[in-house]
Amino acid sequence: MFENPDHLGVPVAGTSQIVDCHCHIASEAQHSRSFIDGSISNVVAALSAQGVPVTAKKLSALFYRKMQDPLCDELVMEMAQSGISKSILLVADFTYALKDCALTIEESFSRHRDVLVRHPGKFEVFGGVDPRWGNDGLALFERSLVEFGFRGLKLYPPCGFNPSDPALFPFYELCAYHRVPVLLHIGPTSPALSFETCHPFLIDGAARRFPTVNFILAHGAVSFTEECAMMCRFRPNVYLDISGYQATLGWDPQCSAVKNTVSQGINHKVLFGTDWPVFRLQGDQLSFVEAIAREDGPLSQLNEREKSLVLHKNIQGLLQAAECPAAQTAIA
Amino acid sequence: METQTHLEEQILVLVAGTISGKFKKTKITPETHLQRELGLDSLGVLSLVFRFEEAFGIDLSQMDLKIDIAKLRTVRDVMNAGRDILDQARTRQNV
Repeated sequence: MFENPDHLGVPVAGTSQIVDCHCHIASEAQHSRSFIDGSISNVVAALSAQGVPVTAKKLSALFYRKMQDPLCDELVMEMAQSGISKSILLVADFTYALKDCALTIEESFSRHRDVLVRHPGKFEVFGGVDPRWGNDGLALFERSLVEFGFRGLKLYPPCGFNPSDPALFPFYELCAYHRVPVLLHIGPTSPALSFETCHPFLIDGAARRFPTVNFILAHGAVSFTEECAMMCRFRPNVYLDISGYQATLGWDPQCSAVKNTVSQGINHKVLFGTDWPVFRLQGDQLSFVEAIAREDGPLSQLNEREKSLVLHKNIQGLLQAAECPAAQTAIA
Repeated sequence: METQTHLEEQILVLVAGTISGKFKKTKITPETHLQRELGLDSLGVLSLVFRFEEAFGIDLSQMDLKIDIAKLRTVRDVMNAGRDILDQARTRQNV
């Protein structure tokens, strides 16, 4: 009864093909406890400073209530309500850096494969492997492309590695062979991890060395925005996604961060993303699509062609290359 | 009716106490949009939830709520949610 019926099941006009390029499975098992506790401690500090009676325990309880969708059934429902036709699930591998992960990375891949099978056509998966797992990690990543049907590589450099480290080159060679993109986290994150390896310029060495591999800078409209836009403008195989824009809506409901990014002549490089389920306490997928696609929203000055690039065509183009039959056999 | 009006006023006060910065001067009515007009983000929503608990002496984590706070769009939605939560809390006390 608290849901405005006007908002239910009615996609925003002209947005029914949206592809959300940045999501995660909403499940406690997919995340490290220390990663989430670190983020929660920052929120508790901010709220306590405002005199809000909050404890980490209460906040955790609220957050974990929103992390009970291991098979993505709720996400599929919210996608239908908001005009999102497909979402990309990213497997962030914290298992090397943080030792309190509930699942091994193999188990995590397996759960994502289950979701692919359960909801045909609704998802793609980018498998994430910490390069310090070496050949085992490389073999798992290749299996994910050849056997599981995954369509990209997800990297989380704040786990403590440089995305241009030579240890990653065999992974990028696989990406080049299988024609799949790499999406890497940009910007600060949970205090449980390092912020030293979160800068977008760190990918330049790899992007230059592997010109046929496409790299997506996650949160590029929120963190290091100028640098991310610069990389997109000058490095042909670098893109950015706008996920995390919800964090700016508190002081800027007009979403100027995204508006600024899409006004720089790089809309052939900008991808829509929400970072589900990170902002589930703030709103649902429909409200986040509305914040971006509404008439007076940050895309309002774009023509229809540019809007469609940002909302779905750019990521569809990146995924299309991997559909080529040549990209189905193993090389490792 | 008087009780309901009083509750709505209390919730208006809670919402007003939650917003900050340039939105402080925004006139708040039941139709005001939480995110677009009051800049209520994750922190704002959480602030509202915990201030509500404190004001009414309830612990939401102990209640089996069917309310999805992510779907609260307007101040009116918050008022409706608040009324239902308090009804549910009273029912629990009477059981």
